[in-house]
Amino acid sequence: MRILVIEDEKKVAKALQEGLEAERYEVRMAADGEEGFSLASRDSFDLVLLDLSLPRRDGIDVLTSLRKRRVATPVFILTARDAVEDRVLGLDRGADDYLVKPFTFPELFARIRALLRRGRADPSLKLQHEDLHMDLATRKVARREQPLELTGKEFEILECLLRHPGRIVSREMLARDVWHVSARATPLDNVIDVTMTRLRRKIDDPFEKKLLHTVRGAGFVLGARHE
Amino acid sequence: MRARPLSVRARLTLWHAGVLTLIVCAFSAGIVILVKASLFEGVDRQLLRALTTIDWVYHHEPDEIGDLASESGIALFQLTVGGKLRHQTEGWERVGLSRALPGSGAIPPTSWTAPDGRWYRVQAVAEPSYTIAAAIDESARRDTLWTLVAILAMGAPFAVGLAIAGGYFLAGRVLSPVGAMADKAREITADSLGERLPVGNPQDEFGRLATVFNDTLSRLHDAFDRLRRFTSDASHELRTPLTAMRSVGEIALQVPLEAGTYRDVIGSMLEEVDRLTRLVDSLLMLTRADSGAAQPVREAVELSALAGNVAEHLRVLAEEKKQTLSVQSAAPVAAVCDPAILRIGLMNLLHNAIKYTPNGGAIHVRTAATASGQPSIEVQDTGPGIPAAHRERIFERFYRMDPGRARESGGSGLGLAIARWAVAANGGRIELESEESKGSLFRIVLPGVA
Repeated sequence: MRILVIEDEKKVAKALQEGLEAERYEVRMAADGEEGFSLASRDSFDLVLLDLSLPRRDGIDVLTSLRKRRVATPVFILTARDAVEDRVLGLDRGADDYLVKPFTFPELFARIRALLRRGRADPSLKLQHEDLHMDLATRKVARREQPLELTGKEFEILECLLRHPGRIVSREMLARDVWHVSARATPLDNVIDVTMTRLRRKIDDPFEKKLLHTVRGAGFVLGARHE
Repeated sequence: MRARPLSVRARLTLWHAGVLTLIVCAFSAGIVILVKASLFEGVDRQLLRALTTIDWVYHHEPDEIGDLASESGIALFQLTVGGKLRHQTEGWERVGLSRALPGSGAIPPTSWTAPDGRWYRVQAVAEPSYTIAAAIDESARRDTLWTLVAILAMGAPFAVGLAIAGGYFLAGRVLSPVGAMADKAREITADSLGERLPVGNPQDEFGRLATVFNDTLSRLHDAFDRLRRFTSDASHELRTPLTAMRSVGEIALQVPLEAGTYRDVIGSMLEEVDRLTRLVDSLLMLTRADSGAAQPVREAVELSALAGNVAEHLRVLAEEKKQTLSVQSAAPVAAVCDPAILRIGLMNLLHNAIKYTPNGGAIHVRTAATASGQPSIEVQDTGPGIPAAHRERIFERFYRMDPGRARESGGSGLGLAIARWAVAANGGRIELESEESKGSLFRIVLPGVA
């Protein structure tokens, strides 16, 4: 999978490159809008990560020109402009998804996977990690054949973790996917932590091997970390 | 080119002087007309008397007609009988008064200028057989009149000048409080907003003006105070996580550590990043709301469903603290508001209630219509209550009743400010009833469905 990253901020660009390469993607970097546009229109990529505030050529302009040239590569916008109009403008001009800076890497990777997966078969209705089983159709969860009683939110959190096994799931992801709250100015972090503690009590406390781990400052991970 | 507008003082003075000039002119003209009339009426009467006297003497004692000049003081006359000159005084001849007569006929009293410039009043009466003409030197009277005109003409500008000076002086005195106020107001800057304008007599116009201005200054002062507090609080709140990050990072770099410890350090720094991110997001949201960029999209919203949903979101927090969280609604209540924004507001209110209510307490969320029929959501807790002194200010950004404690419990100090904004953006208000050690009741009152 080839990803083009158009980002002018050096530190962020470097982190993106290293992070994406660690996820086994092939990464090309562009430091300004002009270079990014010529690369994206000449070569073929599976995804373009696009910053909006770029030197030489604005991100929105790059996106508009690409779509005019019928370049259909999925475009993922990363921007510090988070006003509703900016987001709407980006999506209107043909972007496929966006994240507001500062973003968390777990969420970025999860969304990139989702974008690249798009158009393929529906994900399975049965999820499993080691001896933990989840049936999305019957909404039943069991560990070592023992059924577990989960509340709605606990179930959804676990589903989210099972879909990204071994990867960090950040609080931002959970807020958006489970609670459907995108405004970060709401007091949801405590709720997430408390719900996570309860989930852990149910799926881990009665068992020897612990599956759910907290990664300080980043989020939660199910099972051993992917290194 | 337009003339520069004059000052109030100059305009007052000009009006004053203009009116006074008109009065002086009218008055002078009146005097001149009156004096002139009385002077010339006297002359004409005297002239008629002289003519009557001459006529009587001519009829009764014609020989004595030559003595009339010396005896009666009638110095200027001539008598013509049958077209021939019968008598002519020596003065008449010297002045050449005959030239004032058009012919031998009668003339009404007429003023005539002699070649030497003196003025004479001439009248002639004609009988079938004779004509009498007499004249009186009226130069003295004319001089008197001209003197009067001269005096008035010279006096009037003087009076007008005096009026201008006096008017200017008086206007200055009357307007001096305005000048004093302007001087004082000019000295007042952002740093000296505590100062006030002098109020002379609070009942008069200028006193009222100064009072109104002082009220405005007070409000401005309050606004500046709030802004100053906000800036200092905000810099404190923003610096705290930055300081934590820097010190944690610096300490970690001092000596080589194990990988696990590094992970811990990085995690700790990321926690501070999270805190900073939340703070910046909250501040941005409020700032955007201040600038009017966030426009609510209003629709009819059923409040009990929204309240129930928010309570379910936060229920786990109440359960952790063994608190009872109940949602009651008597009947469906609908309000016109933006549900997403209202949710943010209610969530912050409820979160606040859970945070400050001790373990085992109770929190009730009620949706109802107020006495005046407006839809409302009440959040009642059994927390410590809010002392009256803090009630107004707890909705201010970063305001904390107890600065140390609240930060420990993880608050950003913006929750209630966001709640107030969210409700105000929907055209509503938050009412607060509180009794110390008994609990508080926050009531969101919203506009109803029209």
